[in-house]
Amino acid sequence: MNLQLLVSGIAMGFIYAMVSMGMVLIFRAVNIVNFAQGEFLMFGGYLCYMFNRQLHLPIVPALLLAALAMGVVGVIFMFTSYWPLRNAQIRAIVVSAMGASIVFKEGARLIWGSIPVTVDRVVKGTAVIANTAVVQWQNIAIIGISFILILFVYLLLERTFIGHIMQATAQDRYMASLVGIPVVFSIALTFALSAMLTGIGGGLLAPLFFLNNTMGYTTNAKAFAAVVIGGFGSVPGAVIGGLLVGLIEAFGGAYISTTYQLVIIYVVLVFFLMFRPQGIFGTRIQEKA
Amino acid sequence: MERAYRRLDPKRVVFTALLLAVCLSIPRLTDSYMLRVFNIAWITCLCVLSNYVLLGMCGQNSFAQAGLWGVGAYITANVVMKLGWPPLLALLLAGLGTGLLAFVLGFAFFRLRHYYFTFASVGLMTILNGLFMNWTPFTGGALGISNVPSFSLGSFVVNTEEANYFFIFLIFVIAYLLIKKLYHSPLGRSFMAIRDNEMAANCLGINSLLTKSIAFGITGILCGVAGALYAFLAGYLSYQTFTYQQSTMYLIMVMLGGTSAPSGAVIGTMIISLLQEWVRPLQNYMQFFYGLGIVLLMIVQPEGILGGGRALYEKWHSRKRPASTVAK
Repeated sequence: MNLQLLVSGIAMGFIYAMVSMGMVLIFRAVNIVNFAQGEFLMFGGYLCYMFNRQLHLPIVPALLLAALAMGVVGVIFMFTSYWPLRNAQIRAIVVSAMGASIVFKEGARLIWGSIPVTVDRVVKGTAVIANTAVVQWQNIAIIGISFILILFVYLLLERTFIGHIMQATAQDRYMASLVGIPVVFSIALTFALSAMLTGIGGGLLAPLFFLNNTMGYTTNAKAFAAVVIGGFGSVPGAVIGGLLVGLIEAFGGAYISTTYQLVIIYVVLVFFLMFRPQGIFGTRIQEKA
Repeated sequence: MERAYRRLDPKRVVFTALLLAVCLSIPRLTDSYMLRVFNIAWITCLCVLSNYVLLGMCGQNSFAQAGLWGVGAYITANVVMKLGWPPLLALLLAGLGTGLLAFVLGFAFFRLRHYYFTFASVGLMTILNGLFMNWTPFTGGALGISNVPSFSLGSFVVNTEEANYFFIFLIFVIAYLLIKKLYHSPLGRSFMAIRDNEMAANCLGINSLLTKSIAFGITGILCGVAGALYAFLAGYLSYQTFTYQQSTMYLIMVMLGGTSAPSGAVIGTMIISLLQEWVRPLQNYMQFFYGLGIVLLMIVQPEGILGGGRALYEKWHSRKRPASTVAK
């Protein structure tokens, strides 16, 4: 029972980690919290459904195609709801992201209908661990695939030239443009990467929970919690935060109450905000006048 | 002296009188269904006004308004139905109770700044919604509370849609005037000082934690009163009404109208509330275009309708008086 919960909690945690990591990437690049990140998960899942069930491709190519399509969606999102507003007040950008999230939600409903859908599993069947725990292979596949993807994105950011370009843009956009970095390209790439990462999460999640067009909000809420618990703006923090949220959700749901799942997560979040607002990995930033 | 002059400005007086006349004749001009829409819109106006105080004046972005609205509504229902106290007392208790709750929570939450406060408010919203859904003795759980009696004062019962309209509109006007007053008061000025530069405000001797908590408390009072009005009007409370989505709607409304004056909140609320009714035949596509419209509006005019109107007005004025005095 506990082992089972642990595996499913970690699997869900990795999904949240992908969403919150996408959120952190965008936050670092443009200093904006993306209120439409959960919608990326939903939309990616639906794109995967389109390639897998409507165009009858096997699941792995469907996931890859969905990821590519999400990259395009991310760039479109950036050029429509962030870029024209880059010099406006932050709250205008927050509202425009909310508008965009409504567009995603309703667009998905108009294209694919409001009946919940699902996609194929990457690996079918169940496995028995330690003779007692029955675990779905999909959970293990989620853990493996998302771990590799998160590691890949992390290495891309830390070890490659293109990652350094993105980090430089994130740190100081003006300085980056002075040393000849194409800032627009770099930011667009960050949005694309973020949308791809989160979108694949949707495709992986779909076989476990049915996809519906309103799932973005709860996902977004949990990703917020993960980002804050991990430490705002920290990439490893987002992953650890996501895992924590997944585990809290699994064990809280089993031992306390399933109806209070989101409430439990947010109570933990409020405690974190009270006693360690900078999160696990964050550093306290001195406020400037 | 100058303010006395402004008050007697004939253009202003005529405009206000016309606006009042239109608002008061609405019950004569519409059927009872549209009247219900207007009633809900005025109640929403109170919540959006609270958003104006917190965001427009104090610069703090909160997503907890719909939750506080719900707290007010459930307090009213409980006070009237379980304790059997008069509705007027319930209305006051809802306002004060919610305000006090928000004020006390404000002390905890405003130890966090900017984004972190916003997250905490999303958390509060989620927790409150979870309580509304699950705390059966207080909220009736998933079934909600039905048959909340209408507002009454002595033998005078506000039970028709039309009477409700005047009652709600009266409360709205009182709240609006009080907020206008607040804008010119020292407290309102200190809100705006915090919005513009918190550290500078602290240096001027403003206790920013206390002041922000007061702003959140005012938000609570407005939302609580709105909740009480909603409970009296609708008679049925369900956790599905008081959601995070509703809070985002309030933010969109206040941003659509513009955050520079309380009238922006009213304009934004009215436009969105009425738009939703008028384009109901297109329901299937409505939400999609609504989202698209928000993005477009933010791109074209991030200051909202008020900001756009002001820019137009200034343009027009400068055209009337060409800048001939400027040296070339």
